[in-house]
Amino acid sequence: MLEIRDLCTFYGKVQALWNVSLQINEAEIVALVGSNGAGKTTLLNTISGLLRPASGHVFFLGQQIDGLPPHAVVELGISHVPEGGRVFPEMTVRENLEMGAYPYQAWQHRGETLEQVYQMFPRLKEREKQLARTLSGGERQMLAIGRCLMSRPKLCLFDEPSYGLAPLLVAEIFRIIQGLRDQGITVFLIEQNVRRALEIADRAYVLENGRICMEGPCAELLESDHVRKAYLGL
Amino acid sequence: MVTFLNIVIAGLLLGGLYALIAMGLSLQYGVARVLNVSHGEFIMLGGLITWTLYTAFGVNPLLSLAICGPLTFLLGFIIHRTVFKRLLTSSESRGVFESNSMLASFSLLFIIQNIASIAWGPEIRGYSYLRVPVNLAGAVFGANRLMTLGFAVVIGVAFYLFIARTRTGKAIRAAAQDPAAAGLMGVNIDRVLALCFGLGAALAGTAGMLISLCYPVHVAMGLEYTVIALIVVVLGGLGSIPGSFIGGFALGIIGSVVTNIDPSLSLIAYYLIFVLLLLVKPTGIMGR
Ligand SMILES: Nc1ncnc2c1ncn2[C@@H]1O[C@H](COP(=O)(O)OP(=O)(O)O)[C@@H](O)[C@H]1O
Ligand SMILES: [Mg+2]
Repeated sequence: MLEIRDLCTFYGKVQALWNVSLQINEAEIVALVGSNGAGKTTLLNTISGLLRPASGHVFFLGQQIDGLPPHAVVELGISHVPEGGRVFPEMTVRENLEMGAYPYQAWQHRGETLEQVYQMFPRLKEREKQLARTLSGGERQMLAIGRCLMSRPKLCLFDEPSYGLAPLLVAEIFRIIQGLRDQGITVFLIEQNVRRALEIADRAYVLENGRICMEGPCAELLESDHVRKAYLGL
Repeated sequence: MVTFLNIVIAGLLLGGLYALIAMGLSLQYGVARVLNVSHGEFIMLGGLITWTLYTAFGVNPLLSLAICGPLTFLLGFIIHRTVFKRLLTSSESRGVFESNSMLASFSLLFIIQNIASIAWGPEIRGYSYLRVPVNLAGAVFGANRLMTLGFAVVIGVAFYLFIARTRTGKAIRAAAQDPAAAGLMGVNIDRVLALCFGLGAALAGTAGMLISLCYPVHVAMGLEYTVIALIVVVLGGLGSIPGSFIGGFALGIIGSVVTNIDPSLSLIAYYLIFVLLLLVKPTGIMGR
């Protein structure tokens, strides 16, 4: 579904991604794990068009999407939940969700999708009229996920959705992400919470210093010495 | 005998104009991040075009709204698409863009003013339209001035509803709060910013047309209004459209009170408010 070939991305003269290649199949949860500063956010931002790669390509459903602006990427069915959620603080919960349905196709069905999102997150319905800045950290993350679903995506990109949340909430967020796969939505999950990510994903890639250094089914990675030492503290 | 009520009405008449020009600048500065020093030049264009249409072609000044509005919108939209969009791509950070775009708007000020003085010359232009006295709360106001207030309120409210309710209005607010996140939602940021700049220019052009109904207009009139708009935008809170609307009326009433004491003091009073506000509450009356 998504294929990345030899992607290199720079910040000015500093190279952050080095020949990254990976593949995500339909209805899979694929995790990308790595420590702080590895280049995970840079990779997601390059996929969604916030950054332009210096070389390499990104294909989505056979179409080349590298170099497209973010709004064009969403319209194709890739929805990105950025680091920290980035909800619109001075808009109500409902307006935030409506913004998620901004692409023309999604806008036509926004009433219907809103009902589904409210069913998934009854909490958001309760807070419908509140400004997003008054929400707690967990609620904001739920709102960001709900907002991403409003565009009726085929592929969701999550950038550390569990970051800064209490353990109980983390479990809930991961349950929700697992649930997306059952709805037929493909998930690309970026995490520093390596154990949790490897537990729910089907396959995973390990990113170190902007390079993919390992890949494989999660069960295999959980067994590998390197992952156990470097990421699981075993 | 001038009563308090008269002063308030006069303030509202002035405030309506202030509200319009401030909402325009609020879109350009609060959303598109261009501290547009040439804002007043679009007001001047609106005023002088209306004057020409009326005196040379007999076009009803109120009808020229349908010409000034779209014309200034188009001018603003194209300027953003060419000048400011390029600056936005070439500036490495938002801070750099803000200073670059302000400098660019300075040159815009001189370019527009010079072209206008070739077209219209330095003369002060005025015309008389609907200058019939209307008795209101014991004082006499010109029908033209009341008309101005009516237009300002209708346009202001329509604009507010557009921003609050419509899909595009929501995109504008989202772009103001977090442009990158708005892009991820599917908003074409370049287009929305150009739209905001164009709408800001159109509000200025419309205000210029209304100003020409009441006051003489000339090529050098712009800067004073730019300063007033800037004060109102800070007063109402950067990027807050309702704040600019309310702030416009607030400053109008203050101006009217001060003018009643001594007309030469009003601009000084505005500056004083501006400085005090920056010192005490730089986020504005509606800001947090
Ligand atoms: N806007 C930026 N400008 C310059 N360098 C950046 C920028 N954002 C990230 N980097 C650098 O790129 C590298 C990868 O960062 P990032 O993708 O944010 O890592 P991660 O998300 O894995 O923590 C880091 O070394 C970081 O310092
Ligand atoms: Mg990151």
